[in-house]
Amino acid sequence: MNKLETQDLVKRFAGVAAIDGLSISIEAGRITSIIGPNGSGKSTLVNVLSGMLPIDGGLVVVDAQPPLKSIRPSKAPSYGITRTFQEVRLFEQMTVLDNVLVVLTERNLRSAFFERHRAHHLGQAEAVLTRTGLWGKRGDLAVNLSYGQRKLLEIARVLAMCATSQAGIILFDEPFAGLFPQMVKTVSSIIKELRNSGITAVLIEHNMDLIRELSDHVIVMDSGRLLAEGSAAEVLERRDVIEAYLGE
Amino acid sequence: MEYAINLAILFLIYAILGLSLNLVVGYTGLLSTAHAAFYGIGAYAAAILVTSHNVNFFMALLAGVLASALAALLIGVVLSRFAGDYYALVSLGFNVIAYSVLLNWQGLTRGPLGIPGISRPYLLGLAFSSNGPFLVLALIFLAMAYIISRFIAGSSFGRVLKAIREDEGAIQVFGYDTVRYKLAVFVISAAMAAAAGALFASYITFIDPSSFTVMESVFILAIIILGGLSNLKGSVLGAAIMVLLPEALRFAGFPASMAAELRQAVYGLSLILLMLFRPQGILGEYRL
Amino acid sequence: MEILSQLIVNSVIAGAMYALMALGFNLIYSVTRFFNLAHGVAAAAGGYAVFYLTSSLGQNVYIATAAGIVSAGFLGYGFDRLVFLRLRRRKTSSMVQLVASLGLLTSVQAVLAILFTNEFQTFPAGHTLYNVLGGAITGTQTAVVASGFFITLLLALILRHTMFGKAVNAVSDDAEVARIVGIDTDRVTGRVFFMGSAIAGIAGILTGFDTGLGPTMGMGLLLKGVIACIIGGMGNVWGGTAGSMLLGFAENFGIWKIPGQWKDAISFVILIAFLLLRPEGMIKK
Ligand SMILES: Nc1ncnc2c1ncn2[C@@H]1O[C@H](COP(=O)(O)OP(=O)(O)OP(=O)(O)O)[C@@H](O)[C@H]1O
Ligand SMILES: [Mg+2]
Repeated sequence: MNKLETQDLVKRFAGVAAIDGLSISIEAGRITSIIGPNGSGKSTLVNVLSGMLPIDGGLVVVDAQPPLKSIRPSKAPSYGITRTFQEVRLFEQMTVLDNVLVVLTERNLRSAFFERHRAHHLGQAEAVLTRTGLWGKRGDLAVNLSYGQRKLLEIARVLAMCATSQAGIILFDEPFAGLFPQMVKTVSSIIKELRNSGITAVLIEHNMDLIRELSDHVIVMDSGRLLAEGSAAEVLERRDVIEAYLGE
Repeated sequence: MEYAINLAILFLIYAILGLSLNLVVGYTGLLSTAHAAFYGIGAYAAAILVTSHNVNFFMALLAGVLASALAALLIGVVLSRFAGDYYALVSLGFNVIAYSVLLNWQGLTRGPLGIPGISRPYLLGLAFSSNGPFLVLALIFLAMAYIISRFIAGSSFGRVLKAIREDEGAIQVFGYDTVRYKLAVFVISAAMAAAAGALFASYITFIDPSSFTVMESVFILAIIILGGLSNLKGSVLGAAIMVLLPEALRFAGFPASMAAELRQAVYGLSLILLMLFRPQGILGEYRL
Repeated sequence: MEILSQLIVNSVIAGAMYALMALGFNLIYSVTRFFNLAHGVAAAAGGYAVFYLTSSLGQNVYIATAAGIVSAGFLGYGFDRLVFLRLRRRKTSSMVQLVASLGLLTSVQAVLAILFTNEFQTFPAGHTLYNVLGGAITGTQTAVVASGFFITLLLALILRHTMFGKAVNAVSDDAEVARIVGIDTDRVTGRVFFMGSAIAGIAGILTGFDTGLGPTMGMGLLLKGVIACIIGGMGNVWGGTAGSMLLGFAENFGIWKIPGQWKDAISFVILIAFLLLRPEGMIKK
């Protein structure tokens, strides 16, 4: 069970702060939703926490371990952090199966050459692809999937990260956007299952019904700052929150 | 017959070069234009050891492979900072530097004079001095190169390489230190090219820097793009076509004195046509 | 003292020559966003056109030079119409265009070798020596420096003050937006190829007068131009020229201590150092 915290976190683009002194705390084993108008810095936060963008100021604390001033690319899993992408980023000219297998196999070079647990990894891949309804598509190239299937493959990939116990915290960046109702159901039940198995989930989402249904806690961002937080019912009533959403 | 064997040996050497470059360009998506440098390091290391130090060819080859791998490690560290067009340009720069070294470090390489009198290999009383046995030796080398490449392409290492090619940023997020993978494949590829170079040196028995220019790197690139990136059979096929096509033109009546220019015109043109009409090449599974 | 002035003079000559390559390369890059390696062979073709017109057809040197510049321009324009325009329309990656340009460089260079042999060709040029600040300089080299200077200036003026220049800037800022506001981007790009390649032609012709022609000369010229652009700042006229001067000085002062054959290697070492330490070049766009 991983807890995640930021202290005065800052991220600037060409001098303009996209995250502007953000201090938030995300409880372990809960679903915490982050909402906020377009451009409020939600995806930037995910990018910073997953090590894809350097931190310009402030700290990140995982599990009350020593605070981190920077998260090197490729180091996020060592803090238990993994993610999905708002703009889907798959390994396009690879099969669906390979897209999942690649996150299941061991990271060091020697076992990459001489794989010992091939059958085990295949079993894990089958499990996560079946859960996301993609097992039948395992031989297709990712680039040939439909939009919804692509979104699901992203989910399958983070499930695979959990299967290797490399993920305790999953950052979902708008996993429902553009999905048909059936797929929305699949994804929301997966996220609930993950929480029930002790995973910390951070959910970025614009659909308020889903926020109400899934969130244990809601954080509202505006212009890179913390605007409000609390339960979904509390937060979504607040005037300043409604204004922030409408006022843009 | 001699003529056919000669062509076959050249084909085998270029097939090894193609396979090894395909690991870097086709599987990992790094547009390296420095392959001839590693080919040259292998050729020169073997030639120098065989001629001046009387080392057995196979030991010399091994030394060439190690020298090339070491050079690739150093160059790869710099190259790992770049991607895309800049990678292509900087690797080209390294080929220019390597060529400069071969040409100007006269104490070691004899510069433009080249190194003559490189003997053919022998092993346990088995001599490869005539072209027939040499062909068999080259075939064994190609088979080894193919097996190694197949093993890499099919391993989970190969899968990570492809993921790097598709989206390096994304695969990093899942915990892969991509620099190590890129370095590893670059070194392996350079080592294979060096073996091809040693083979070439002892086959031709004379080498000079002109065989290891940027244009030679472009030629190898043309082989793998024609055959198809990220497909091993494609590299072998591409080598066959690129080696045989200029010969066919010679039979069509073009003078032999222009053979080298003709070859350049052909592979240059084929690169243009491929980019325009079939960027994935004949058997390719990946396009730039 | 004398050696110092000579080194300075030589540096400026080399820098001006590189600037001629860098200007066109940079101009083409600014609208197309790929490394056009075929730029080198436009230079060589310009030189050979003059060689053909003067040696084989006995034309007057000035007419031949003008014709050589124009033919280099048309060659570049032809590259764009026949190859790059089609690739752009298909929205291919810059790597595909780079590989295609590599193909053009190789094949046209081979054709030059087939037509004119691999022999080194020289022009019948006067080699009067002038004295500048204690350094010797030939008439041709004076022309190199003058062309480098005037063409940089001219290009900067054109880009700043003409409709064409404004269109070029618009396309280089954002081709999509430029198209929406009604600029015929393909036409602008075609003209840019013509202009850039014609300037490369000048470099090739002057090289012919200065040292002579070889079919593979384009590659060498091109690399210097590319390196100058990158260390000066891609997509910036002044950057290309500043980078060229730096490169000219570094090479010539480098060979004071290091033997001359290492010039190419020196310039790539400078390139790599810049890319690692200051990737945006000397002058930011
Ligand atoms: N790589 C980048 N370079 C420059 N600016 C960026 C970059 N990424 C984000 N920004 C800017 O940072 C701000 C925050 O963007 P971000 O994508 O984090 O917003 P968001 O909250 O995820 O919005 P949305 O709900 O639309 O996804 C925006 O103004 C955006 O333009
Ligand atoms: Mg976002």
